[in-house]
Amino acid sequence: MSEQEMHDCSDVLEQLYAFHDHELSDEEADHIREHLMACEPCLDSFQVEEALRLLIRKSCDSEAVASANLRVRVQTTFTQTVVVTDAD
Amino acid sequence: MNLTTPDSVEADVRPTESEDERRIRFETDALTYLDQLYGAALRMTRNPADAEDLVQETFAKAYASFAQFTPGTNLKAWLYRILTNTFINSYRKKQRQPQSSGQELEDWQVAKAESHTSTGLRSAEMDALDHMPSSVVTDAMNQLPADFRLAVYLADVEGFAYKEIAEIMGTPIGTVMSRLNRGRNQLRTKLADYAREQGLIGRGE
Repeated sequence: MSEQEMHDCSDVLEQLYAFHDHELSDEEADHIREHLMACEPCLDSFQVEEALRLLIRKSCDSEAVASANLRVRVQTTFTQTVVVTDAD
Repeated sequence: MNLTTPDSVEADVRPTESEDERRIRFETDALTYLDQLYGAALRMTRNPADAEDLVQETFAKAYASFAQFTPGTNLKAWLYRILTNTFINSYRKKQRQPQSSGQELEDWQVAKAESHTSTGLRSAEMDALDHMPSSVVTDAMNQLPADFRLAVYLADVEGFAYKEIAEIMGTPIGTVMSRLNRGRNQLRTKLADYAREQGLIGRGE
């Protein structure tokens, strides 16, 4: 791999989080996409990052369930008189 | 319930609504985020009892100032901001952990140096990581410094934009980016280390 290509890879890796976060300009994102299509190791890093995000999200979501007790506690903080149950 | 107006041209109902109507609107719009806020609170406090107290306090405060919230703007971000402020003002004081504040100025430089920390993971190994128990991931998150942990949670789990995270955490975008970089690198390294220790994946070359 040439020095130029190495340099390119490190630039791409540095921007990978921002690319995933959709925080790059169209131009910058195009550059990353172009590089990923041509560079197997960077594409692999990209896919690892994608899978890690899914894993992290899934793991946190599985715990993010408020108990029925908490729901009632929260509701009592603002429902003093009428309890509205929307039964459709 | 009938739709009287299309969502897109949501009028500001605040000047004419009654107390009861405001309560119902709060219940309909804000309570939707209960699970998500609880999830975030759990990451902040790292224990269910404190997370529940924090969420209750957050909703009480949010309801008290709901008249100041402009309908049609980002309610989720507004609620997270109250959650974060409540956490910072009451819970974090209690915990009294030595935090990384004071070195914020160098954050970005350090982050740059750390940004090439590679997990050494390969995409072919990621199927194995899917079998990792959720608690391993959340424990690894809990080990991150509080500021990093929250930034990573807001970005990776909630998908907030940097600008929104900056508003929620009350910090400049550059600080958000450095916290994200460092927090993510630390978390990913921990997960990769765990996977290797448990033999879920190979030791790499």
